[in-house]
Amino acid sequence: MKTIRFSPERVSIIARNTLLEAVRQKLFSFLVLISLGMILSSTFFRDFNFGSGELKFITDFGFGAITFFGSILAIVATAQLFFSEIENRTALTILAKPVFRSEFIFGKFFGVFLVLLFFCAIMAVSLAGVLYWREGELTREIPDAFADGRLVAYGDIFIFVFLQWLKFGILAAITMVIASFSNTNLYSVVMSFFILIICHLQYLARDAWEALGVLPVKLAVGLLGLIFPNFQLFNLGDQIALGERLPGELALRVALYGLVYILVFNAVAIYSFRKREI
Amino acid sequence: MLVLAGLLTRPIEAPAWHQLREREPALNLDRIEGALGQGVTVALLGGFRAMVANFIWLRANHHWERYDRPATTALIHLTTAVDPRPLYFWLNGARMIAYDMPNWRYDDLGGIENVPRDVRREIEREQSGIAFALLDNALEFHPDNPSIYIDKANIAQRRIEDLELAVEYYRQAALQPDAPFYAARIYAELLRRLDRHREAYEWLVELYPRLPPDNDAAMAPVVLGRIRDLEDHLGIPPGERYQPPARARPGVPEMLVP
Repeated sequence: MKTIRFSPERVSIIARNTLLEAVRQKLFSFLVLISLGMILSSTFFRDFNFGSGELKFITDFGFGAITFFGSILAIVATAQLFFSEIENRTALTILAKPVFRSEFIFGKFFGVFLVLLFFCAIMAVSLAGVLYWREGELTREIPDAFADGRLVAYGDIFIFVFLQWLKFGILAAITMVIASFSNTNLYSVVMSFFILIICHLQYLARDAWEALGVLPVKLAVGLLGLIFPNFQLFNLGDQIALGERLPGELALRVALYGLVYILVFNAVAIYSFRKREI
Repeated sequence: MLVLAGLLTRPIEAPAWHQLREREPALNLDRIEGALGQGVTVALLGGFRAMVANFIWLRANHHWERYDRPATTALIHLTTAVDPRPLYFWLNGARMIAYDMPNWRYDDLGGIENVPRDVRREIEREQSGIAFALLDNALEFHPDNPSIYIDKANIAQRRIEDLELAVEYYRQAALQPDAPFYAARIYAELLRRLDRHREAYEWLVELYPRLPPDNDAAMAPVVLGRIRDLEDHLGIPPGERYQPPARARPGVPEMLVP
């Protein structure tokens, strides 16, 4: 009897279909349009005559748009694309064929991850374009402020957006874990948003943990800090907007941290989905 | 599995987190308590701190355009409390308070021509005091930044015409590691205006050898010229006058300079 092995080809077919379905859905286009609108509307800062400070405002708003709408896309798109297979019963058809549940989860994840990559790439190029254009204009208007050359570190913008992509990947994988055992799309979306907030605020609990004297509470908070990834680690945009350079070693560590959590949450999603009755 | 992942990633995360925290001042929620709603607090803690500060700054500018002094002042303080990292907020906030707001207060009293001189002085002193307090707070977050001392000196010199105070701030600015060359020159010039010629002379004599000869902004020949003027004024005999050290000219090796 022929044994069936895990097939990257089947994973890529599911991923491609997921990507096509995501592009067909209006959510992706809608969020891209809103984010682009937010970045482009930053030219409104010209009215305030902020000088070279305007570039900081554009960068902050651009990074804010990417982080905010990217998080929404990661959660909503993952939940929607996963549950559309369940609700339309296509998951039954797919899994009745020689397709492993791990291949299904990986395929879905990589499909969403590709959608997020397109989103991040469009945003990064738009933001860098707006900044380049305004920096050029400001250089002509106030050359003294740019005596040492261009102020914006364009390479760091792309590194920042790459790290956000990894963060969105973790978020998509977390949503996949929740979707793998939950029965409704709404439950998955709401729970994922709660976890997003926990991941952003867990550093506060850890700070408090260091100050705590009660052992059981200390252990509980310590456990919380281990289970949920620290999303504040990805929050490197503020430094870039202030004109500081992003240390390569720091970016590398954060990237590695993101990749490990993406793998771990996907593994948990596979484990959970194997136990699910469809 | 997740606990294991947490333990495995700790060696990757801990140094990165430490590095990040060093560059990131702690968010002091006590200072903004009551001013922000729960949603905004979560946004602040959730990585949108710079954006929230920008929005508050835009609101401050909106009120500034309407000459609303209490709202503008409150929002300037709130902006710097939310995000104390950009120097831009501190410096521009202090300038609004010290330079613009006294004019709004004259207008409230019927225009500058109707405000008695002593009342004007009082208003200017009050507003400058608020601006100085703001800039003193800025020093907590940017302790070595000469721009803050220079702005304090400018307010003291131009707004309240207190040269003694301006001199002290220029001295502090000139002592900072990345101070612009002009801070030291202006300090000496103000000392001269205060008839403290000997102090100005000694400062410039100490300054001159430290000026890079190949940097136009250092204006070494101008400094030497001022040293000579002060020597004339102080009546220093030719034998005791300052002898500048031999300097290498561009393209000429130092050993060949007489």
